[in-house]
Amino acid sequence: MTTRLRLQELLGPILIVIAFSYVVGLQSAQGLLIVQSTLALFVMVLALHVFVGNSGVLSFGHGAFAMFGAFASGIVTTPSNIKENSLQLQHLYPFLVNLNLGIYPSFVLAIAAGALVAGLSGLLLMRLNGLAAGIATFALLGVAYNIFFYNNRIGPGSQALLALPPFQFIEEPVVLTVIVMLAVYLFGISRAGRTLRATREDPLAAPALGISIMRVRWIAFTLSGAIAGLGGAMFAHVAGTVQVQDYYLPYTFMTLSMLIIGGGASLWGATVGTLLVTGIGQILLMMEQQKPILGIVVHIPNGTRAIVIALSLVVMLLWRSEGVTQGREFKIGMPKLRK
Amino acid sequence: MIQAILDAVSLGGVYALAALGLGLVFGVMRLVNFAHAELITVASYTLVMTHQFPLVVSIVLSVVVASLMALIMELVAYRRLRGSNPATMLIVSFGVSVLLQKVYELVFGALPRSASVATGLTGAFTVGGVSITTASVVTIVLAVVILLAMGYLIERTKLGLQLRAAASDFQTARLLGVRSNRLIASAFVISGALAAVVAFVNVVGNPQVDPRFGLDITILALVGIVVGGMNSLRGSALGGFIVGAVLSLLNVILGNGRVYAYSWMFVIVIVILLVRPGGILSKFATKERV
Repeated sequence: MTTRLRLQELLGPILIVIAFSYVVGLQSAQGLLIVQSTLALFVMVLALHVFVGNSGVLSFGHGAFAMFGAFASGIVTTPSNIKENSLQLQHLYPFLVNLNLGIYPSFVLAIAAGALVAGLSGLLLMRLNGLAAGIATFALLGVAYNIFFYNNRIGPGSQALLALPPFQFIEEPVVLTVIVMLAVYLFGISRAGRTLRATREDPLAAPALGISIMRVRWIAFTLSGAIAGLGGAMFAHVAGTVQVQDYYLPYTFMTLSMLIIGGGASLWGATVGTLLVTGIGQILLMMEQQKPILGIVVHIPNGTRAIVIALSLVVMLLWRSEGVTQGREFKIGMPKLRK
Repeated sequence: MIQAILDAVSLGGVYALAALGLGLVFGVMRLVNFAHAELITVASYTLVMTHQFPLVVSIVLSVVVASLMALIMELVAYRRLRGSNPATMLIVSFGVSVLLQKVYELVFGALPRSASVATGLTGAFTVGGVSITTASVVTIVLAVVILLAMGYLIERTKLGLQLRAAASDFQTARLLGVRSNRLIASAFVISGALAAVVAFVNVVGNPQVDPRFGLDITILALVGIVVGGMNSLRGSALGGFIVGAVLSLLNVILGNGRVYAYSWMFVIVIVILLVRPGGILSKFATKERV
C-alpha cells in the first residue's frame, strides 16, 4: 500500500479487471454470469479491504451490510404488482409495497443503507479491539441474519425475492466496479487511509502522535459498509433473486478468503485474490461437471471444489500469511532491490 | 416454570462444557478454535453410525475419534501458527472448520444422518405434579459431574496447574519448564473429549446429524468465552453457562418474539463487551479497548 498516487498501481488492476470481464464475459451467456457474480463479490472484497486490510481489525460483520444493501435494493426494485400478490410478501409494510425504484436509484439506496448501518453500529463496535472486535462483528452478522430471517414486514423472511431486474449489459457491473476501485484507492492514499494504516502498524505510537484510532477506524468502517451495501445489491441483481442465506457464513467465508489469499493490505491483493479464487473455482467446477479443459476431461467428485478452496485458504495462511501479493501494489517490471 | 429453570440450567451446562473446551485451547495458545464445531460434529456422527453397538462402546469411540481429530488439527495446522496474531489464527480455524464441513459432506452426504441413540433418556417423569424431561436431568447431572471432574483436573493436578499457568502467561510457563508441545497437545485432547460429551447430550436431544451439526452451539460457546473472560478457564465455563441459560430463558420470556432470542442475546453480548472488553471476570478492563 502506498502513500501517494502512482498511476500504474491504480490503472494496472483496473485494466486487468476490465480485460478479464470482456474476455470471459463475451464468450457465452454463462461467461457473462460468471463475470457479473465475480464483480459483485469483488466489490464486497474491496469493502473488506478498506476496513480489514487498512485497519488490521477483523470483521465478520460485513455480510450484515451486504444483507441490508441487497434487501433495500431488492424490495424497491421488485414490481409493486408482484409485491401485492405474492404470498411471502403479504405482511410487507404498505409503503414498501408501493415504493418502486429503478435499479440505479436502488443502488444509491443500498449504499446509503450499508453506510447507515455501519456508521451507527461502528459508533459502538469501533471502541473494541482485537478478538473482542472479531466476536462483536460476528454478533452483528448474527443479529442481521436473525432479523431478516424472521421479519416478514421488511422482506420475504426465510423465502426468496424472485423478481429483481437483472443486469442487462456487461458494462453496468464493470463501470460500478471501476468506480469502487477508484474510491478504494483514493481512500488508501488519503490522510485518513494513511493514518489508519499507521494505527495498524503500531497501535501504541499512533495515539501518541495525536491520532484518534476510533475516529479513523469509524471513517473506514462506514465507507466499507457503504461499499458492502453496494456489493450485496449487485450480487442480488446478478441472478435476480435475493435470499438471506446467500449473505451468511458461506458468503462471509468466500469473500474473506479471497481477500486473505490475495493479500489484504493492497488493492492489487484484493484483485488477485478474487480472480485467483474465481479461476480455481471455475476450473474445479468444470472438472466436477466433467467438461473438457483444454481438451482434457478430468473428473473429480462433487464437493471437491469447496474443499480445495477452504484448503488453499488454510495453506495460504500457514505458508504466507500476507497473501500472494504480500500486501504489495501492482508494479510492472522487476521489483527493485532495497539498498 | 420448574421445567423452564431446569432447561435453562441444562442448556447452560452444555454450553459451559463447550465453552470450557474452547477456553482450554485458547488458554494455551491464544487460538479461538472455530473448528471445535467439527469436533462436536464428528463425535455426533460416530455416535449415530455406531448406534447398534452398546452405548458405552459408542460413547468411548466418539470420545476417541473427537480427541484424535483435535490432536491431528493441532499437529497439521495449528502447530505452525503458534505465536501468530490471534486474528490470523481465528481465520485459519474458520478455514479448517469449513474444510471439515465439506469433507463431512463428501463422506456422509449433506442430508442429516439419524439413529436413535440412548432411547432411555427421551421420556419424561412426574415429581410432585410437575412433569420433567429425563434428558434435562441427565444433562444437568452429566454437566455437573464433568465440570467437577474438570475442576479437579485443573485445580488439583500437575497438568491442571500447567494449564492454568499457561493460560495466564505462556512464555513464563515455558521458562519455568512447562513442556509446551505436550501441554498444548493435551489441551487439544481434553477439548476433543469435552466436544464428545457435548455431542452426546445433543444427539440424545436431536439425533439428526448433518455436516453443520456443531456450528450453532460452538458459535454461542465462543460468544460465551468472550463474555466470561478469555484469560481464565473459570471465566470461559461461566460465560458459556450464562449464554446457554440466558438464551433458554429468553425463549420463555419473549413468548411470540422468541424467534428474535438470538438477536437479544447478541445485543447483550455487544453491551457486555463494551463495558468489560476483557470479559466479566477480567481484572484489567481497559486493555482490549481503543
